[in-house]
Amino acid sequence: MAIPVIMPKQGQSVESCILTCWNKKKGDPVRKGDILFSYETDKASFEAEAEAEGTLLETFFADGDEIAVLTNVAVIGLPGESIDEYRPGKTASPSKTEPEKGKSEMAATSGEDIKTVPETGSPAESGIIKISPRARKIAAEKGVPIASLKGSGSEGRIVEKDIHQYLLHHSRLTPLAASAANREGLTAGNTGTGLAGSVTAGDLVIATGGYAESYTDQPLTNVRRIIARAMHASLQNSAQLTHHMGADVSRLQAARKKIKEMQEKGYPHNITLNDMVCYAVIRALLKHPAANAHFLGESIRYFSSVHLGMAVDTDRGLMVPALRNASALSLVELSLELKKLADQCRNSSINPDLLAPASATFTVSNLGNYGVEMFTPVINLPQVAILGVNTITYRPRPLKEFSVEFVPYIGLSLTYDHRAIDGGPATKFLAEIRNEIENFKENTA
Amino acid sequence: MRLRISKKIQHNLPHHLKSKLKKNKQPMYDIGIIGGGPAGYVAAERAGQQGLSVILFESKALGGVCLNEGCIPTKTLLFSAKILDYASHGAQYGIRTTGTVADLPFMMSRKDKVVRKLVAAVEHKMKHNKVVVVKAAASILENNKGVVTIQAGDKKVECRNLLICTGSETAVPPVKGLNESGYLTSREALQITEIPASMAIVGGGVIGLEFASLFSSLGTKVTVIEMMSEILPGMDSEIIQLLRKEFSKRGIEFHLNARVTEATEKKIVVEKEGQRLEINADRILISTGRKPVTTGFGLEKLGVELVKGCIKIDEHCRTNIPNIYAAGDVTGFSMLAHTASREGEVAVNHIAGKPDRMRYKAIPGVVYTNPELAVAGLTEEEARNKGIEVEVQKLPMTYAGRFVAENEMFQGLCKIIVGKKYHEVLGVHMIGNPASEMIFGAAMAIEAQLTINELKEIVFPHPTVSEILKEGVYMFKV
Repeated sequence: MAIPVIMPKQGQSVESCILTCWNKKKGDPVRKGDILFSYETDKASFEAEAEAEGTLLETFFADGDEIAVLTNVAVIGLPGESIDEYRPGKTASPSKTEPEKGKSEMAATSGEDIKTVPETGSPAESGIIKISPRARKIAAEKGVPIASLKGSGSEGRIVEKDIHQYLLHHSRLTPLAASAANREGLTAGNTGTGLAGSVTAGDLVIATGGYAESYTDQPLTNVRRIIARAMHASLQNSAQLTHHMGADVSRLQAARKKIKEMQEKGYPHNITLNDMVCYAVIRALLKHPAANAHFLGESIRYFSSVHLGMAVDTDRGLMVPALRNASALSLVELSLELKKLADQCRNSSINPDLLAPASATFTVSNLGNYGVEMFTPVINLPQVAILGVNTITYRPRPLKEFSVEFVPYIGLSLTYDHRAIDGGPATKFLAEIRNEIENFKENTA
Repeated sequence: MRLRISKKIQHNLPHHLKSKLKKNKQPMYDIGIIGGGPAGYVAAERAGQQGLSVILFESKALGGVCLNEGCIPTKTLLFSAKILDYASHGAQYGIRTTGTVADLPFMMSRKDKVVRKLVAAVEHKMKHNKVVVVKAAASILENNKGVVTIQAGDKKVECRNLLICTGSETAVPPVKGLNESGYLTSREALQITEIPASMAIVGGGVIGLEFASLFSSLGTKVTVIEMMSEILPGMDSEIIQLLRKEFSKRGIEFHLNARVTEATEKKIVVEKEGQRLEINADRILISTGRKPVTTGFGLEKLGVELVKGCIKIDEHCRTNIPNIYAAGDVTGFSMLAHTASREGEVAVNHIAGKPDRMRYKAIPGVVYTNPELAVAGLTEEEARNKGIEVEVQKLPMTYAGRFVAENEMFQGLCKIIVGKKYHEVLGVHMIGNPASEMIFGAAMAIEAQLTINELKEIVFPHPTVSEILKEGVYMFKV
């Protein structure tokens, strides 16, 4: 007897889950307790175990699909058994339509799941009308008769969309508004300014459906998913703030000019302004180990050498490879290594271990090339700080006798985790970076 | 300062203090209304129906200009004139009469009786809805912390919301010699004791034309002088031309693009296209328009915003001050009694927290001449000016059998304007009796944004003149 596997429901508010990956594939033998697939909600990931023994006869969804909870995602049974009745979209629920004892095992488990679902609201209506709380609220406000609605959610559950659909066709649209809504893809807005609050043509708004052809939904790539999680977690789980400071880059610019001149004469290394800033940052970090650290919750780990993370913009998204032992490198070596890492990121040959946030002890993100004058970079936890490097602007500096000169300043935006560092030390560290930049020694190259 | 004492404390007070408290106690009204015209008394009635406590200030008779010296008395007299018209043309319908006489004193006393009856009805309505009516001029003292204080006679009254319905008054243009000429306004014209042999009516708006119709029917030689290039500005030009033609047949003379430069007791001087004309007239009637009444009742104490001399209101008829509302002619929007009443209702509903809003798109306009002229919605010209693509159907009223049965010699006209794309009803314009009684149907269609498809499904009584709408609707090719 074939048994469907459903997407479990995790918590009250979860309407759908993403099937992260299948551990078994179609045709695999399955034992009770085997991990069938992993899935995730917006908050956490879970693993679904097989509730029955047999063969995985069919999987209805692929990795990365978003699936409404309680929807059939696969079927376990004996080879040759029909799986069609379990295909999602079939309205008849097998556990209700086939009162046969063979499926009792599965029914018991899925029944349990359904019992924990509190979506049916008040006891009086529970079991009769399945409706999401939000849909129920809107229905009540707009006087939508939910009993007569057919839900489009799993097992016919009424969701918000169904209420809006109903309203579009049943709200008191004036005849003109109804014609215009149908022909121009408009929908009733929140206000009706016509007779007794009826929706007039002037009240119509562009329906979400009106955009249907102008957007595409793209599932997250893994890189995007990792970035999304890391960045969100960083802002959620730490106490970040940013200080901004400018540093006179005359010396760096002079050095850069000199290198260019040397290159024309055959010097092999293209040492960029960014390389020099990174070099200065490493020197500053060595003097301020408080910023070269990982915050581990109950302790702070200070590193004796600098493993420099560098934000690299790639086609696939942001990557932050770590340059291990960067503090041991000369400026030329640093320049070469940073270039190598960036190239590896762009051609996807980077060692994934170097991408782990814990691989680096501090990160530099340079947006100066894009003309950004100030920003608040987000820390790669468990690191405790990140330096944003901005574009160069010219600022007046007073000279004697009421005149000014214009000095090139590079903007430095230091985000730090206040859990690990206080404002004073953070400022001193930032000032140290400035100091290193302003007193950059050309002969370092 | 007046102490506010909680009910519980009041209850526990010794008897002698309790009685003192009662004496000092002033009721706080939910709404105070200044002006008992169609805006004020209807608002008071609606508010009372909803259980709000209302106080209404009116120094004259309830009903305002409309009931006492406007809509109702003119319509009463115009009906007498219409009977006279029918009598004099009775032969066309096989009824021959001899010696038909207009008995002006009787007409006037009947008019007064009608007015008295209706004023009494309004008074009864106020009583029935527990509206406190103060027959004294109101003067606003202050609006402090959401409480408006009003002085009326020797009485001070407090209310949480104030609705201003002070209406409008005749605007008399500055013309040399006019003040000495003994001219009439609509008010005096309703009190005359003799039918004048000739009358010059200055201003070809609704009021001017209704009096033109009235006096012309009574045998007066009427001349209408209008400054603009056409009478009844803003109305459909074809309909107006028909009316002008009908009136000309009856001997009414029109001077368009004409400006009055001088007036004497029996003569007015007009400048028309560079020429000077002298028009002899027993009486001069000034009907050049009305202006809102915004002074004389302490409005300036409130800081209410005015636009071109009218109180500015939002779609809930609220002024820029949260607890101050205004309705009727004083807002200067449409200067019609039915607009005023509706504005009053909207203001009351907003005060009561009921969703409602004022819409001006489908307000019917009627000219109670004989023949009547009634309109609702946009004219063809207005629609085109707004960039709306329209389709128009024009049909003589004689397409309705009932109209043929009752009208010899006059064709009438009905004009229906719909949107080109969706065929929603945008405007209906009619000339021919009883257009005034049918126009509400058009107003309903416009207000409800009905298209001609819905109108086709509505059953009209047969035979009635109203069937003209259905006839017209079927003329559109969909």
